[in-house]
Amino acid sequence: MLNDAPSAGLADLRTRYLTAQLEGDRRAALELVLSAIQGGQPALAIQRDVIQAAQREVGRLWQENAISIAEEHMATAISQMALAHLYDHAERAPDNGKLIWVACVEGELHDFPARLVADSLDLAGFQVKYLGANVPTASLLELLERARPDLLALSVTMSFNLPSLYGATTRVRGRHLNLPIAIGGGACQLAPAAVQSLGADICVRDAAELVAAAADRLGVGLGAPR
Amino acid sequence: MTDWQDESRELALTCDAGGSILWADARAKRILGARPGDSLLALAVDGTSEKVRALLARALAAPVRDWEVALRAFAKPITLAFAGKCGPSGEIELHGCAFPDGYGRAVQQVSEALEEVVALNRELSRKKKELAAKNQQLVDAYRELDESNRGVRSLHAELEEKADTLRRAADVKSRVVANVSHEFRTPLHTILGLSKLLLDAGDGPLSDEQRKQVRFIRTSAEELSQMVNDLLDLSKAESGRGALRIDRFEARDLFASLRGMLRPLLDEQQPVVLEFAAPPADLVLETDQGKLAQILRNLVSNALKFTERGVITVSVECAGQSARFRVRDTGIGIAEEDFERIFEEFGQVDGPLQLKARGTGLGLPLSRKLAELLCGSLTVQSRRGEGSTFLLELPLAHPEASELAQLAKRPLDPARDQVLVVEDDRKTIFVYERFLSLAGFQVIPARHVEDARKLLETVRPAAIVLDIMLEGESTWDFLGKLKADPKTRDIPVLVVTVTNKEQKARALGADEFWLKPVDQGRLLRKLRSLAKPGVAAKVLVIDDDERARYLVGKFLDDSPYEVLQAETGPAGVRVAQERAPDVILLDFLLEDMTAFDVLDELKADPRTRNIPVVIVTSHTLDSVDVERLASQTEAIVSKDKLSRELAMSRIRDALRKAGVGPDAMNSSGVQGGAATGNGAADA
Repeated sequence: MLNDAPSAGLADLRTRYLTAQLEGDRRAALELVLSAIQGGQPALAIQRDVIQAAQREVGRLWQENAISIAEEHMATAISQMALAHLYDHAERAPDNGKLIWVACVEGELHDFPARLVADSLDLAGFQVKYLGANVPTASLLELLERARPDLLALSVTMSFNLPSLYGATTRVRGRHLNLPIAIGGGACQLAPAAVQSLGADICVRDAAELVAAAADRLGVGLGAPR
Repeated sequence: MTDWQDESRELALTCDAGGSILWADARAKRILGARPGDSLLALAVDGTSEKVRALLARALAAPVRDWEVALRAFAKPITLAFAGKCGPSGEIELHGCAFPDGYGRAVQQVSEALEEVVALNRELSRKKKELAAKNQQLVDAYRELDESNRGVRSLHAELEEKADTLRRAADVKSRVVANVSHEFRTPLHTILGLSKLLLDAGDGPLSDEQRKQVRFIRTSAEELSQMVNDLLDLSKAESGRGALRIDRFEARDLFASLRGMLRPLLDEQQPVVLEFAAPPADLVLETDQGKLAQILRNLVSNALKFTERGVITVSVECAGQSARFRVRDTGIGIAEEDFERIFEEFGQVDGPLQLKARGTGLGLPLSRKLAELLCGSLTVQSRRGEGSTFLLELPLAHPEASELAQLAKRPLDPARDQVLVVEDDRKTIFVYERFLSLAGFQVIPARHVEDARKLLETVRPAAIVLDIMLEGESTWDFLGKLKADPKTRDIPVLVVTVTNKEQKARALGADEFWLKPVDQGRLLRKLRSLAKPGVAAKVLVIDDDERARYLVGKFLDDSPYEVLQAETGPAGVRVAQERAPDVILLDFLLEDMTAFDVLDELKADPRTRNIPVVIVTSHTLDSVDVERLASQTEAIVSKDKLSRELAMSRIRDALRKAGVGPDAMNSSGVQGGAATGNGAADA
């Protein structure tokens, strides 16, 4: 399990990564990430403590108007690419045969955290179907009629999307009583107490937590990546 | 003015510190739908009102520029960059510029495209990983195969090692058994001899009781002796060195001699009849008769032991290329589960009759081993209480016999030097045959010294290759005799063996001593050096009759021989010593000394000892003389029958026997004459 506090090395790495990101230096950002994983840093830690942390900082900087919307898009594109390379280079644990769907609730446009969660689950040996941003609850229900995962993970970043999350969990639960539902994302961390009432089986703060909880819930071991 | 305003993406408005709109220009109304009284904060896109609030707070404190906010323009989100400052009456003046529609859409498109590319990338990545995993599985499987392959190989090596150890152990066992058995024999023979002496009452009669006791001692010793013999045979058969003596014989004759041999075994008190069914009239076998008889003897004596009354029948039939011998009895029989046990050493069946008729427990195992030596098999069919039938099946002609017979049967090739190979291992003989025949020699195979002895009566090889392990002592004996015999002593003998007995071999006269395995090139070089060069042979005529000398000289006028003459015995001996002729024609009756005296003198001198001598006589010799001469000379020729042809022929024969001269190579015309020449006086 990862420590909550990123190591000093990763914090420094995040700073340098963010700088490269905001300067639009795609190559420098990538090199930082890849050398970290080649240096033996776990992929999950780099995802969480470098890329995701840097993305939060980007959001805060836009909020502060320190960067423009164009810069924010550029930074995000670089992070998407970094995640892709990270996934490509990371060792994947042997397939454990469990299928997890990852989706952002209806109205939620921030898909970065969901993507990160999907990658983490995948590398841990789960089969992952990534449904992307802003999945209408009706579409979700329709999909569930045709196929059935072992676990459904819903992501919500903005708190104004919490009602949408509530709608989704309630309606899915109504149709599929035994399907475990996991929720997570920025909005869930603001009011943990309120989240409890949303009817989810698992509520997590980050990808690492979700990986552990899903393994526990689905009764699979977390094979050490090869 | 109106047109310009319609195209403008800039707008102006004022609001209070709480975000309530106080004034909005026409463009603000057109682009945002903002009217005085509306809340600017309410226009903010979900989740972005904080940044609008920050804009108001900062503008109140100090002018700001390029503050980007996302607002809903008629429910559609647009991005605007605002400049703001505090107005003269505390209101906030905002001047905004909306990003073009296309710009937002383009960013949106790029963002979505990126999403899709990222999704595609994950899929490709996953497939790549799956491939890598499959590849890894293959590599693992390959490694596993490789490991198990390696394992099999090392197991194989281990097995070979074990087999080697077992072979060595079996070898040691056989040797121990053989040695111990030998050691047993001597004291046993003493016991047997002394008890016989006692029973014969040579030193005074024995009392009845004493006779009984001595007879018991004798029968016990006989049993023990039988056992020792069986053990010895068994170890010989096991080591595979029991040399085969293959002969042609008729089944009829075999049965006749068996009948005589086995009759004494029958106890007159025992109501058992031994019958020999008449074999097919034309059944001829070519195998080791002694070993076959030994098997049948064993089977019959075994049957006698376990049959209290009834009939024991020995029969044989021909089945294709095999002969099937059966020994059937009406005895106690054998349970099927014991069929194999009875063929194991000391593997007897326990039972009342078995206990009564205790044997050595070696007869059947030995018989089976012997059957295998004869390339046959020995099996049993039986039922408890219903008697047994032992079936011995063996090839009519032993495979070695047929192959070797072909080698041995070849006519002598006058164009080649013959090499007599005395070697009991058939395979080794064929190895010699292969490389010696390629080098221009003709191999004459002899499986044992007896064979070799017989062959040497009719053939004079250029050399003898002798495997000394063959039959141990008798081979040394053979070598000794070969070198002691003037007729054969000058044939080079190459002793080949596995144990270093060079001194013994040299002492007995071996010309060469080599350890096995024999280096082929070396052997060939040696043999080539032994083939003597074809110089003109010298013939010495010893005769006191000048006319006789003249006649012989005339006879040999046009021959390749150089004729030397001597008119007295002593002169002849001297010339022989000085000139070393290749053959001597000796008159039987000289004036000063007899042929016997001359021969004695010739044989006494190493220089002349090996020169073949042909006796020429005008007298009729008596049988004593003929016999005496035959052992020391090549031929006896009558003077009145002497002709050019006869002289040439006898000389050639003699030379060929000595392996000398050109005629040793091309004497095909007198082939066979050599055999009759010796001792068969033409007189």
